Amino acid sequence: MISAISLANYAVNGLVEGLLIALPALSLTLVMGIAGFANAATGDYMTVSAYAAVTMQKALAASLLLAAAGALAAGVALALLCHWLVFRPLARRPAVTSLVASIGVALLVRSVLTFFAGHDQQSIQTPLMRAWNFGGLRLLPTDLAVAGVAVGALLAVFALLHGTPIGRQMRAVADNPDLARASGIRARRVMLALWAMAGALCATGGVLYGVKAVIMPDLGWELLIAAFAAMVLGGIGNPGGAVLASVLLGLAQELSVPLVGPSYKIAVAFAALLLVLLARPRGLFGTALAAR
Amino acid sequence: MASYFVAVATISLIYMLLAMGLNLQYGHTGLINFGHVAFFAAGAYASALLSLAGWPLPASFLAAMIVAALLAWPIGLLALRLADDYLAIVTLGFSETLRIVLQEEGWLTGGVQGLPGIPGLFAGLGPDARGLATLGALALCNAVAFLLLRHLVRSPYGRLIRAIRDDQTAVQALGKSAARPKTRMFMLGAMLAGLAGAFYAHFIAFLSPEQFVPLVTFYVWIAVIIGGAGSMAGAAAGSVLLLAFLEGSRFLRDALPGVSEIQMASVRLAVVGLALILCMLYRPQGLFGRRKG
Repeated sequence: MISAISLANYAVNGLVEGLLIALPALSLTLVMGIAGFANAATGDYMTVSAYAAVTMQKALAASLLLAAAGALAAGVALALLCHWLVFRPLARRPAVTSLVASIGVALLVRSVLTFFAGHDQQSIQTPLMRAWNFGGLRLLPTDLAVAGVAVGALLAVFALLHGTPIGRQMRAVADNPDLARASGIRARRVMLALWAMAGALCATGGVLYGVKAVIMPDLGWELLIAAFAAMVLGGIGNPGGAVLASVLLGLAQELSVPLVGPSYKIAVAFAALLLVLLARPRGLFGTALAAR
Repeated sequence: MASYFVAVATISLIYMLLAMGLNLQYGHTGLINFGHVAFFAAGAYASALLSLAGWPLPASFLAAMIVAALLAWPIGLLALRLADDYLAIVTLGFSETLRIVLQEEGWLTGGVQGLPGIPGLFAGLGPDARGLATLGALALCNAVAFLLLRHLVRSPYGRLIRAIRDDQTAVQALGKSAARPKTRMFMLGAMLAGLAGAFYAHFIAFLSPEQFVPLVTFYVWIAVIIGGAGSMAGAAAGSVLLLAFLEGSRFLRDALPGVSEIQMASVRLAVVGLALILCMLYRPQGLFGRRKG
């Protein structure tokens, strides 16, 4: 029997993991809602950003903050570059074309990364801090910081989506592209904003994951299934749903560890995905994002 | 040298079976299967484990095809309810989940240590004759599969599945069910992957989960896309091109000093990724295909 306290420890860990899944899941669901395809390279944008942070720290002896800024720039630049070179030219073709191309992008990005950076594990240097212990419930200050930054990034994206004109335009395009065009919304600017936002979310996720765990070439790819599952779970194109679903998924993954071991995390995400598709094909939280 | 060519030909015929299966699913029926490697793995492990348990090889090969098709059945059923993108995600998740199961359930599969000592085909023959006989059996299976599939896609049923690919709603409006043909084609494609897996297991004689990473799926995708999705001969030609590239890159490395084998693996991955992107951008109909993109 597992004690309540160790269960609580798993739950805390699951909460942090869930917030980390939420970042790529939000990126996926926004791209799906607005650009109309599932971007399989989402995870690899995270990986590139994480490596950018490590490189900044190692080669330039940059501070943690500066390294994170560099990673953010790298993530946004990569997402915009892929948009210009690959996804924009494909925008008028069936969504399948973009999906297959995004697999190509994922493989290409990862191969360039491993060619130059190798396959060794890397880590982002953070100040070492001792875990706080509340009667058996262990809290790592690093985890708290990771969760805090993740929540901050998510709130920033929601503020942009709901509080700014460009955010409203993005939601309008997601809701009804034709009506949005007829209302004079310029798709070009919306797409730029979308990919900058998607890249920034991935970059934040990549750096935070690098701070919490180690950095490997398939860091992002490994998170992709979970992020996909969260996107579907939350209802495709529904940002709030994706975040909530990610947290639920993170909790489910961690709480399953005492039962099935840590290796089956992807399987838990996959099982959750199957169950939702069988029971509620439109996701737990209903329909897509809409503009008012 | 001769045995090297036999080995390369064997692997390319195994890929050809895989490509035929995927081409049936994607090229003809429009099902986006990003987890083809799962059915390949299922066939490989099923035949290997059964033959190690004493089953005769013809029976274990048959079982491999059945196991792969049965695994595809629930996913095919699920696929009916899903849009294209969902099926891609579900199959990708399925293949990763299966790989983890193969890795973790060591009592059955040998886990990460792998499964050694899988009996080869035609054990009664000498080493050279055995390789040729295996190649011959594979060529025969490819030929039979090719003829059967060509017959299928040229039949009225073949027109039905292409109609479903192009406009499912229109097919349903005409009073035809899209559900059963889709499930059947998905299972049939998986069955071919299972057969390919059985050949692979008994040819390589050693299985481990890391042979069944998603990259294998995308190798097959490249073969199908380069050949032209929906083109029967294209899938075959694409497999040969793929193997020529994979093997050719080994010789290229010998000519390029200062590039390690691990870096060459990166280069190979880069070429596959780039080829997928360029095909989607410039030739969605493939090198030989005629279908409008």
